[in-house]
Amino acid sequence: MLRSKSGAARAAALVAGAALVLSACSGGDGGGDGSGQTGQIFAECDANPNECNSSPADQLQDGGQVTMALEKDIANWNLNSSEGNVFESGMALKGVLPSTYLSNPDLKFTMNEDLLESAEQTNTDPQTIVYKIKQEAVWSDGTPVSAEDFIYVWKTQNGKDCPECAVATTAGYDQVRTVEGSDNGKTVTVTYDKPFTDWQQLWESGQPIYPAHIAKEHGDLNTPEGLKSAFDWFGANVPTYSAGPYKIENFEKNRSLTLVPNERWWGDKPKLERVIFRIITDAAQEPTALQNNEVQVIYPQPQVDLVNQVRNIPNVSSYVGLGLTWEHFDFNLDNEVLKDKALRQALFTVVDRQALIDGTVGQFTDKVEPLNSNNFMPQQEGYEDVISETGQGTGDVEAAKKILTDAGYKIENNRLIDPDGQPIPEMSVRYTTGNQIRQDSSELFAQAAKQLGVTVNVSPTDDLGGTLESGEYDIMLFAWVASPYPFANAVQNWTTGQGNNFGNYSNPDVDRLLNEAAAETDRQDALGKVNEANRIMAEDAYVLPLYQKPTFIAAYDNLANVRNNSTLDGPVYNIGEWGVRAG
Amino acid sequence: MLAYSLRRLLISVPIFIASTFVVFLMAVLSGNPLNKFLAISPPPPPQTIEAERIRLHLDQPIFERYWNWLTGLFRGDFGPSTESTLDIGTEVINRYGVTLRLVFLAMLLALILAIVAGVVSAVKQYSGVDYTLTFVGFLFLAMPTFWFAILLKEAGINFNNAVGEQVLYTIGDSSVYVAGGAWDKVLDIAGHMILPTVSLALLSFAAWSRFQRAAMLEVLGSDYVRLARAKGLRRGQVMRKHALRTALIPLTTVTALDLGSIISGAVVTEKVFQWQGAGTFLLDAISRDDVYAIMAWLVISATVIIVLNLVADLLYGVLDPRIRYA
Repeated sequence: MLRSKSGAARAAALVAGAALVLSACSGGDGGGDGSGQTGQIFAECDANPNECNSSPADQLQDGGQVTMALEKDIANWNLNSSEGNVFESGMALKGVLPSTYLSNPDLKFTMNEDLLESAEQTNTDPQTIVYKIKQEAVWSDGTPVSAEDFIYVWKTQNGKDCPECAVATTAGYDQVRTVEGSDNGKTVTVTYDKPFTDWQQLWESGQPIYPAHIAKEHGDLNTPEGLKSAFDWFGANVPTYSAGPYKIENFEKNRSLTLVPNERWWGDKPKLERVIFRIITDAAQEPTALQNNEVQVIYPQPQVDLVNQVRNIPNVSSYVGLGLTWEHFDFNLDNEVLKDKALRQALFTVVDRQALIDGTVGQFTDKVEPLNSNNFMPQQEGYEDVISETGQGTGDVEAAKKILTDAGYKIENNRLIDPDGQPIPEMSVRYTTGNQIRQDSSELFAQAAKQLGVTVNVSPTDDLGGTLESGEYDIMLFAWVASPYPFANAVQNWTTGQGNNFGNYSNPDVDRLLNEAAAETDRQDALGKVNEANRIMAEDAYVLPLYQKPTFIAAYDNLANVRNNSTLDGPVYNIGEWGVRAG
Repeated sequence: MLAYSLRRLLISVPIFIASTFVVFLMAVLSGNPLNKFLAISPPPPPQTIEAERIRLHLDQPIFERYWNWLTGLFRGDFGPSTESTLDIGTEVINRYGVTLRLVFLAMLLALILAIVAGVVSAVKQYSGVDYTLTFVGFLFLAMPTFWFAILLKEAGINFNNAVGEQVLYTIGDSSVYVAGGAWDKVLDIAGHMILPTVSLALLSFAAWSRFQRAAMLEVLGSDYVRLARAKGLRRGQVMRKHALRTALIPLTTVTALDLGSIISGAVVTEKVFQWQGAGTFLLDAISRDDVYAIMAWLVISATVIIVLNLVADLLYGVLDPRIRYA
């Protein structure tokens, strides 16, 4: 790694550097002598995702600085607002804001033991949850973290006390009847009007806790206007408060966010003296910045070139993980032709998912496999294969043709004719402009459909949300994020008339099962109901899940406790433990 | 000259209104900023989306929106951004500051190189030096900016490895945290400036050196230069005082006129080297469907270009006494 010399020497080197660059004479050394085993710090992560690359605190340097690339500027500091609900902003504040539950690298959630002693469901009718906050948990100005903070967040998020608060979601909070504090505010009792299976989702790391005592300085928390004013204030101002291992030292817009240890932090002291998030908005520039040691950790979306470039950098380890984002083809059921289940089943059957994976993400990893559930990732609790038994996604042309002929279709002159003798009109499959992997996948879909005599045109859209909403598609390729808290999402995505059910799927059995699942007090029962609904959906051939999208992390070998976390918490989920290996 | 300048500026007003209206129309029609909320699971509640619609004036008819925007400009109000915390006016001016810092340094470097190369090429016409410089000029002219910038980064990293020091940087305009004193900070900034400046400069240099060569050749072939030599003036003196000075006139005009295109050309350099300047501001605004931010960029750019065109015209008259404006 690069060392620092005297100013004069560096000045001389600068001049020489300029001269060298001007003469466009690049020494072809390429760096890296290949001696010693490098790039192995993530070797254990497949077997042991939650603990790989760990080092006990006494083997870490005291101090040190780590810079991580952040792909978006932070425009809004209130992560609970629709505008602040951005993955990158969430990563930047992970070490600052407290929350009840965290998402771990194994894609499962656990209670945040730094903040809470316990969180338990003490009653099922009405559903009641009791959180016990640690006595020593305080904000960086010394004010205890208390029920007041929970109440402030709930009031802004429930859609009733502050209808004007531009929140990212009201899910769950809108079903809470009361949030009450006792034991000096260190016990929080939450009572629900109607059971909410995903109760762990409230105040979890994606919807963290903000300090009520600071909110109070910016608005009367008993009025809608006051709540809104506090809510907006949190969005517009860089946090000076913290109840995490780090606090913000400095933010320079479009440039960087600097964190330093929070001296009021009650947990294990962080080892690093400084963590810098450097804003690099173009992922293609991250490998060179990493190679030049301007950043030490990157977490970009993987592309073949980028992954290969990073793998060639000496003293850097990288790891491809499987995340919660999953790609899928959706039909638009408003299309008259696609209202026929047999045609949908046949089209999904003729798509060869393994070939699609091999031709796209399979080029840089062999971990990705066809995904067989619309609701859970294989690593998550509740995953069941509901797709294989339908034969969809296998690329079996004969099976697909049989489905069609059984239903009265004919293929004449390479053109599919429906049972009424009408040829099937051309259709369009759409994907997001500039996403090469989706473009390739869409083209594979079109080729597959051709084998059944269906012409599918591939066309991009630069406005995914708008196209989905307006229904200007027959087949859409896009992705959902499978939350560790799946029940409310399932209702949003698959039940009749819901906002995210863009293709207008409707099946009364699915509606009933998913609505029941979202209002359970027993998680296992709920998981069972979601899978039962998923089996019906698979048979209905509305959505074909393709694969879990890979994620990619790279870091210098001397960094300990940095590891992949493909959930929405990101690799910074344990930022307080990061450190530089001694020696 | 004052009357001429005023007349020129007045002509710019209808051009400004027409161009801003067309761009406003295109920006508004090209996408809906609220659509970003649609593909989120779970979606934000309807009242959030409705409040945002009103905040961004999406509930008003397009002509009204344009008129409000135009009149707002005179009060220094650039309109609401899709990022509610962003003050468009301050932001676009800061971003332009970043871009201009990059652009002016690059232009300075390009000018010096272009003049030297152009003069040497002309004086040593059809020599090995001339052919080499001509070849290099065309090579840079043909080179795509982004590719060249990436090559430069690689060269920079190789150089760092060769000297075993962090001398050159590939990201941003300075390090976030620099240990040491003022001198270290200067070196740090210099280390960040070199690659992007060179990358941007060499492309302008390529075109300008060709201009300079042609202008110099024309002057060298002229009667008055031959006369000066015939009168016994030394070669160096003729070159400097008589030939070069005259031959700088075309380059001055070209440089002033090129500034606009260099600023827009800097988009690529800014992106590759992650300078958060005006170019990336525009790209981000477009990707967010942030109409008022796009318009702010346009207004500032249009103003810069209108003023620079005027300056170029005026300079032409100042440098060449044969041309005067009535």
